Amino acid sequence: MIDQASHRSEAVWLAALGLCILLGFASTIHAAPPAPDPSSIIQSFDVASATPRPVEETTALAIQRDYTQAWQSLVAALEQNRAEMLDENFIGGARQHWQDAIHAQQQNGLSRRIVDHGHRVRVKFYSLDGSALEAIDTADLEIQYREGSQLLSSERIQAHYLVLLTPAESSWKVRILQEIPSS
Amino acid sequence: MNSLWRSLILIFFCAASGLCLAQLQVTGPLQAGSGATLQAPGSGSTTLYLFGPGGAGKRTVQRGAIALSADELKTAGRYTAILDGSSTSFFVHAAPLQAISFIARPSRVPTAASGAVLGSAFLFDRFQNLVLTPAPVSFRLAVEGTMGEERNVTAKDGVAWVQLNSGRRSGPAEFVAASGEIRVRRIVQQVAADPCSIRMQAMRAPDGNVLVETAPIQDCSGNAVPDGTIVTFASVDAAGRSTVDARIKRGFARAELPASRSATLSVAAGVVLGNEIHWGGGQ
Repeated sequence: MIDQASHRSEAVWLAALGLCILLGFASTIHAAPPAPDPSSIIQSFDVASATPRPVEETTALAIQRDYTQAWQSLVAALEQNRAEMLDENFIGGARQHWQDAIHAQQQNGLSRRIVDHGHRVRVKFYSLDGSALEAIDTADLEIQYREGSQLLSSERIQAHYLVLLTPAESSWKVRILQEIPSS
Repeated sequence: MNSLWRSLILIFFCAASGLCLAQLQVTGPLQAGSGATLQAPGSGSTTLYLFGPGGAGKRTVQRGAIALSADELKTAGRYTAILDGSSTSFFVHAAPLQAISFIARPSRVPTAASGAVLGSAFLFDRFQNLVLTPAPVSFRLAVEGTMGEERNVTAKDGVAWVQLNSGRRSGPAEFVAASGEIRVRRIVQQVAADPCSIRMQAMRAPDGNVLVETAPIQDCSGNAVPDGTIVTFASVDAAGRSTVDARIKRGFARAELPASRSATLSVAAGVVLGNEIHWGGGQ
């Protein structure tokens, strides 16, 4: 009798423990942050004024994904002074210029921390053969200029970038990322 | 008492607006590779930090007129100079046009094809900055010895593009994009389009077969259809249908069809049908 009772209480205890573990696991799953939406930094992507060729929906989605990744890699590369982080998403002049900037930062013990508050992208040119796309990106950025861990200066800007993207094997790469004054 | 208040108000406004911090000012052409001068009030040495899209630097300078070198300002975009806790931002524009990146498509095109040749020209300075000032760009597509087609376009945001018809004459066509002294050339091979018409004649071969041969095969502009293009000869008689594929060689195609007492012979290349011959019988 005593044995049966102790078995029952043990079973109840184990069931409760199992439930707790399950609930805990479930809550862990629930509490985990959602997978980052790769297009989250693009607040709007306007293709209405693209000439001479309209931008297909799948192309627009691919560009948003790849341009987002390009910015994420640029932000990380400028903060960590790791020029090689640009290899995946940048090519040509854009890669050369920003890699030069990172090497110079590294040599001088400087860095830039960019807090990216979002981009509004307006496509202006999409070539007939689909080999190049030009857009104006209005970016809301907070830039901190640092020497070591010391903050030298910071600014919050509405930056306007002229962006030229070209397709590579499996993604679009940034060929030009040139900031221009607001018109 | 009044002056004390006035001083306090001045200090308050200074702190609020930041106007009392050292005022930095940049003068110069602000063109890539041209250098500029940073005006910093006061005297004595201090540290200048300069962040740009193609570099970042730190150096000791004497307050006053500080020279920013051409090398420091060779990438177009925003620069931020920081000195004594004050900062100023300024833009450097691209230098004059030095290079055109010209994409021409396709590399091979049929003659007299409407809107078949595409060209995009991207204008760069010598530092790989996109030149954004509007600039005239002329595109010309022509086979040597022909007028060809020319179009003048104004580049916008560093890009000019064109869509041209291919010429009527086959051969290597020069596709040129030019702006000022800068000129870039691509070759677009214009090849004869589909045959305009195919004429054949038939004769009896020594072995009794039917020998069929075309007249010179040309497109509608008079260009010889390239050697190697396949021409299909067919013979339909009581026994059924026989076909022979032959390649154009020196402008002609020829083949032997099986002997037949009475047959209908036809010829075709791609989607173009040639003449028909009724062989034998009453022929």
